[in-house]
Amino acid sequence: MSNRGFIERPRYTCALGGAIATVSALPKAVPILHAPPGCASNFTWTQAGGSGLQVGGYCGGLSMPGSNVQEREVVFGGTERLEEEIQNMFEVMQGDLYVVITSCVTEVIGDDVGSVVRPLQEQGIPIFFAETGGFRGNSYQGYDLVLQSLFKDFVKKTDKKQPRAVNVWGITPFIDVFWRGNIAEVRRLLEKLGLTVNSFFTVDDSVDKIRESGSAALNIVVSEVFGQGAAQVAEELHGIPYLSATLPIGPAATSTFLRQVGEALNLDDALVEEVIQYETKRYYSVVEPLADCFNDIDLQRYAVIVGDSNYAVGLTRFLADDLGWLPEVVGITDILDEDQQDHIGSLLRQLGSGLSPEVVFHTDGSVIADAARTHWRKQQPVAGKYENPLNPAFVIGSALERELAKDLGAGHLSVSFPVANRAVLGRGYAGYNGGLTLIEDLISTIIIGR
Amino acid sequence: MSYFELKEPPRREDRLSACIAHGAALGEVAGRGLRCCQPGNERSFTQNSICLLLPALGTMNSIPNSVVLLHGGLGCGSSSHCGNAAVRGGNNQRWGVVKDGRWLSTGLTESDVISGGETKLAQAIIEADRRYRPAVIFIVASCVPGIIGDDVESVVEQTQPEVVAKLLPVHCEGFKTKIWATSYDAIYHSIGRNLLTDKKKSEETQEKTGITVNLMNVSSMGRVDELELERLLNELGISVNVFPVFADPDNMQRMTEADLSISTCPTHDDYILSHLKEKYQVPYIIKHMPIGIDNTGKWLLDIADFFGLTEQARALIAREEADLAAALEPLKPMFKGKKAFTSAGEFRALSTSILLAELGFEIVGIRAFHHDEFAEVEYEKLVKLVGKELPLNIANCQPFEEANLLRKLKPDIFLGHMNGNSTAAKLGISTHVIYNSGLHYIGYKGAYELARRLYRQLKNPRFNVNLSQYAALPYQESWYEQNPFKYIKMAGGDNQ
Repeated sequence: MSNRGFIERPRYTCALGGAIATVSALPKAVPILHAPPGCASNFTWTQAGGSGLQVGGYCGGLSMPGSNVQEREVVFGGTERLEEEIQNMFEVMQGDLYVVITSCVTEVIGDDVGSVVRPLQEQGIPIFFAETGGFRGNSYQGYDLVLQSLFKDFVKKTDKKQPRAVNVWGITPFIDVFWRGNIAEVRRLLEKLGLTVNSFFTVDDSVDKIRESGSAALNIVVSEVFGQGAAQVAEELHGIPYLSATLPIGPAATSTFLRQVGEALNLDDALVEEVIQYETKRYYSVVEPLADCFNDIDLQRYAVIVGDSNYAVGLTRFLADDLGWLPEVVGITDILDEDQQDHIGSLLRQLGSGLSPEVVFHTDGSVIADAARTHWRKQQPVAGKYENPLNPAFVIGSALERELAKDLGAGHLSVSFPVANRAVLGRGYAGYNGGLTLIEDLISTIIIGR
Repeated sequence: MSYFELKEPPRREDRLSACIAHGAALGEVAGRGLRCCQPGNERSFTQNSICLLLPALGTMNSIPNSVVLLHGGLGCGSSSHCGNAAVRGGNNQRWGVVKDGRWLSTGLTESDVISGGETKLAQAIIEADRRYRPAVIFIVASCVPGIIGDDVESVVEQTQPEVVAKLLPVHCEGFKTKIWATSYDAIYHSIGRNLLTDKKKSEETQEKTGITVNLMNVSSMGRVDELELERLLNELGISVNVFPVFADPDNMQRMTEADLSISTCPTHDDYILSHLKEKYQVPYIIKHMPIGIDNTGKWLLDIADFFGLTEQARALIAREEADLAAALEPLKPMFKGKKAFTSAGEFRALSTSILLAELGFEIVGIRAFHHDEFAEVEYEKLVKLVGKELPLNIANCQPFEEANLLRKLKPDIFLGHMNGNSTAAKLGISTHVIYNSGLHYIGYKGAYELARRLYRQLKNPRFNVNLSQYAALPYQESWYEQNPFKYIKMAGGDNQ
């Protein structure tokens, strides 16, 4: 957390907001909020503003049932209100899965939500709860807490593991604005390795398959920060080992990712290499027609990258090692402890291209922007009448980096939350296909005035 | 004692006996005062809603040279990511500069909840003052400080001498009220206590000639709507100062120096208007909303009558109405016989319904976020226009009641508040948004522009029609057979 007593324009919402985003992305799931009336609309508007125009889903936005606790419940407790709410809810709402999630208020007053939900579970109703009060952390923690509860209270325990079945998570719905495309690409590639994939949040997933996810041989967490708690819970309770890997963007990182998976599952090396070769060749055969214009228009850029740990690392690797750009400053806006910072920092010092950008860990965009401006000023030694500034430049960050890009005279693309100025549906940046899409988006931004 | 001497404003449930849960025919509410529907009404099944923090942020984030410091959980105020689009657009329309709003969160953690957040808040205020050098810092109390007992007022009092910015505490504890219109009182309460002073009028203003009025805007009004009202008032020789959205904090004091304050939305600003009258002798008019053709005329006439400009106003209105009628003529055949349903803040839903009736739509249902005494006048107008049988639903959102009503009433077009149109959309109904601060809604220009947009929506409704073939609403089929108001618990007994 920021040591300054505040976080500037937090690039996430609280644990409850992350929990809602997560549950509303599960197949036909109904989130039930045990919260005061305004939390849901706060998150609805947050997504409308920051998630590339994606709000809700099957039961999101203001359709979510909620106990709407008031002063009376704060004084006398809110479990009765919650009980009444849930009983009546079954008459109105239709879902394949129901998840009760709690708020700051109902946790501070000490409501025992388990006492309401457990009797319903015993009746065989597909319902569980997660304690996701906002003070427990940010969206990413809320995501993790829901998945932890899911593995604790919903996923069936089994000793029979399917050697080629895996679960995938770590790409957080709505806060990773490109979640649908990213998950789909990771899933596609894992299936090419011959794996059966449960990815929780796609149209190819279902509540039944999620319930059977305890039979997986490996959990793959596509993040080295998000979703780690759930991986530990699944390991302890279901005996499933896990692999954590940063979001792979482009051929270099994706090939490494596939090799990591192959190794963890003892897959046939030849098969893994065959997939990697095929996909890499295909990637470059698509890039090939760009060769003339990429070089003629001079599309190489100095870059500032600002984002959460998944995107900051993934984008920097792609720019440095695949696209041949020059990352100068990387800002990571997650709330991280020292160990996590060291780890993420070390990933950014292992770029295949040998480049070593300045790395700034701070929750506040204005602090990162100041560091970038200073970096840009320092790098402009004047040799007589000749200047050697860091341009042309490009800023890949969130919509909040538009002011920095303007100051640097740089191009700009919103990728990390908030993405206020783009409509995002199915596109993603993960994998080989994601690398191609990212090239399109970066270069389209640069040449828009052509 | 004036409310403004209290630390916090009262809830509207208490101050205005406002209510949020009711289902009835229009005639049962019109002309009945507040006897029809009581603040004790509740729902035994509810969907989620809005809290007062959200509309409050719409105003606070707009204030130039301000910082909004949210004291609470990390998520409170993240809706600013959406409101920021209006802040950027509003700044650009007024001053030609695109600028992001500045909001901060103290992000209370588990240990803050146990040991209290006052020290952290004080530290945050000092750091925000130093880093951003703003004119004002809104210190916004959300739910958690309200429960753990942080004394935000004391922190502000102790910290004020250490900072340059003026500190404005605003109480937005969401669990304290279901009437989010209380947020307007919360903001005005802080403006009234901290930015309006007793100092004498400046010499410049004492010497001024001509008429100057306070035009009270709302965050759902864009600059285009303000310009329409300024245009009409200027035609009558009246100068206009606009408060409070996007108003310079250093100029708020001028609110106390006007000849008259004019409300543009009676749900919005009775609290400050009474205060300006009691303390600064600024009279006010709060009656009509300038949405709709007849309503705009009534709104203008009330102001003109006050200043003895009635004849000029009548002439202006006649000219405007004639021009508008001619312009609307080619659009009206599209609207004839089409059924319309509106859902929004009470006054806005009612006045928009009146406008739709003027355009030739058949009004088949209305939903209002709450009910209070100020809307009486609008109910009376509506009953005269559309009769008493129309279904009326007082609901703080609750899309399940809406879905039920829409399936029964089958309107051709639905007009809903922002983030309130997807239910109708998934049922295949054409929709249009009430509350998009880039669009015209107000005055004669607003009537025409709304008609133009409705014409466009009705001309090709395919987006929603296609969506409805594949997107399911999350309700049991049996729910649609039920009374839409089944879960409203009337203070005097159930509504089965």
